[in-house]
Amino acid sequence: MVGIGFRKDFAKEFLDSNTLQPAFIEAAPENWIGVGGYWKKLFQQALEKYPFYTHGLSLSIGSPDDLDFPFLQQVKQFLQDTNAKVYSEHLSYSKCNNAHLYDLLPIPFTADAVKHVSQRIKTVQEVLERKIAIEIVSYYTPVAPEMLEVDFINHILSEADCELLLDVNNIYVNSFNHQYDAYEFLDQLPLERVSYIHMAGHEKVSDDLLIDTHGEAIIDPVYHLFAYAMQKLQRDVPVLLERDFNIPELPLLQEELTRLQDIKNNALKPMAYAAI
Amino acid sequence: MQPSNPTTGYQQSLAHYCRTGEYTHIRGVHTDHVQHYRRLVYNVVDDSLQSAYPLTYHLLEEEEWNNLVQRFFSEHPCQSPQLWYMPKELYDYMIAATHPLLTRYPFLLELLWFEWLEVALYMMEDKTTEYRHQGDLQQDKLVLNPEHHLEHFAFPVHLKQAATIIAEDQSHYFLALHRHPESGEVQFTDLSPAFVSMLESLAEGPATMNELLAHACTTLGIPESEAIRQATQAFLAHALRTQLILGFA
Repeated sequence: MVGIGFRKDFAKEFLDSNTLQPAFIEAAPENWIGVGGYWKKLFQQALEKYPFYTHGLSLSIGSPDDLDFPFLQQVKQFLQDTNAKVYSEHLSYSKCNNAHLYDLLPIPFTADAVKHVSQRIKTVQEVLERKIAIEIVSYYTPVAPEMLEVDFINHILSEADCELLLDVNNIYVNSFNHQYDAYEFLDQLPLERVSYIHMAGHEKVSDDLLIDTHGEAIIDPVYHLFAYAMQKLQRDVPVLLERDFNIPELPLLQEELTRLQDIKNNALKPMAYAAI
Repeated sequence: MQPSNPTTGYQQSLAHYCRTGEYTHIRGVHTDHVQHYRRLVYNVVDDSLQSAYPLTYHLLEEEEWNNLVQRFFSEHPCQSPQLWYMPKELYDYMIAATHPLLTRYPFLLELLWFEWLEVALYMMEDKTTEYRHQGDLQQDKLVLNPEHHLEHFAFPVHLKQAATIIAEDQSHYFLALHRHPESGEVQFTDLSPAFVSMLESLAEGPATMNELLAHACTTLGIPESEAIRQATQAFLAHALRTQLILGFA
């Protein structure tokens, strides 16, 4: 299954044609909770046509502030109303000092953070009465790290007993920004926890920094890393193409969906006896 | 507030930097790269505000706009987890703050509110009501579109380009905003005080033209006349066409 992020920028064109043929769609609950009128009509059309996955933006799992329980209840209701298959969120924080920041800030890789964030994920899972998938985010600077990124992630996944959203582009971006081997990093993750994969493009803003923009096409090295991940996974994990800005013509998005599906098919096809 | 542990302190420092641009060193942070967080966060907020308030953005000088956004985001703790709703908080902030822009542009609060109303109505949750499409305008009870808002302004922020509004424009301006049930577009209707009174009455429940006319004349203390009846009929017919009035009970 390869899906696409349902974005207002191309929602109408998407629904009015058969150019894009995703197996499912994904949206952020924050962008649709409490929304009516024109957008709700389009959203309902999309929900009637495609299985629905969700990817939260503002729960701020890694925040030192208290969890926003009223908002969490709204999310729970939204997931029920839309029959959402998956709820995922970011391993980051977007609210602090009682103020939303509307972007994803990096959590310090510390033992205190592991304990705090793991407990919050558990709480969220209890309230939602479902496992959630946590995404490893792109980050542009470490913040007071006490441990390696991969150890930080693995401790949280284990202690929270949650699923992993494997954002392959983020791993590529982080490996470039922080100068490690993306393949070795992937080898160290508990891939049995991967329930969802994200693929996207990024932007090079300087010789030593990539920014995860979702505004460009996926580049070949990220496709290669995705192929490696699929070879290791050997199961049909749903894959999402994220494109939030600089939206191209829909046939170009479909080409990316097709390429992702081809890579999956190739990785998952039964091997001939002679090749084993 | 003292952070409960060093990790919390680091997170608060980074968040404070993103909101204000005031950076204090955080151990391990790449000082050339951390600025991108400030840039990205600020751009999200700035873009969202520009999108919600295009008329205000167009009115203000670049420096005024940038100062406004900067002060708002650094002084006001945004509470909405929904980015599309965040711009409402700029209006709330401007009410609470004695911002110098309000002295230069006395109509600015009304302009912001007018712009926010359009966003809010366009995005608001659906409200439904029962009605018939066919009926007699002069005899049947009329049903108001529940997705509407009545507003009174002291400045013609909905009629004139903001940059051309002058002190002499100050008066009483009434208007109705409603969301068209089919297109979802927000439409504006200028109102006289009598039509405001009729729509307020209709908001209480369906009523006939005669009932609305009597209500408005009583409320405003004016005698009914054929001219008023004609104007009312024309107004209600127009409201039916634009779907400010949806139909008949």
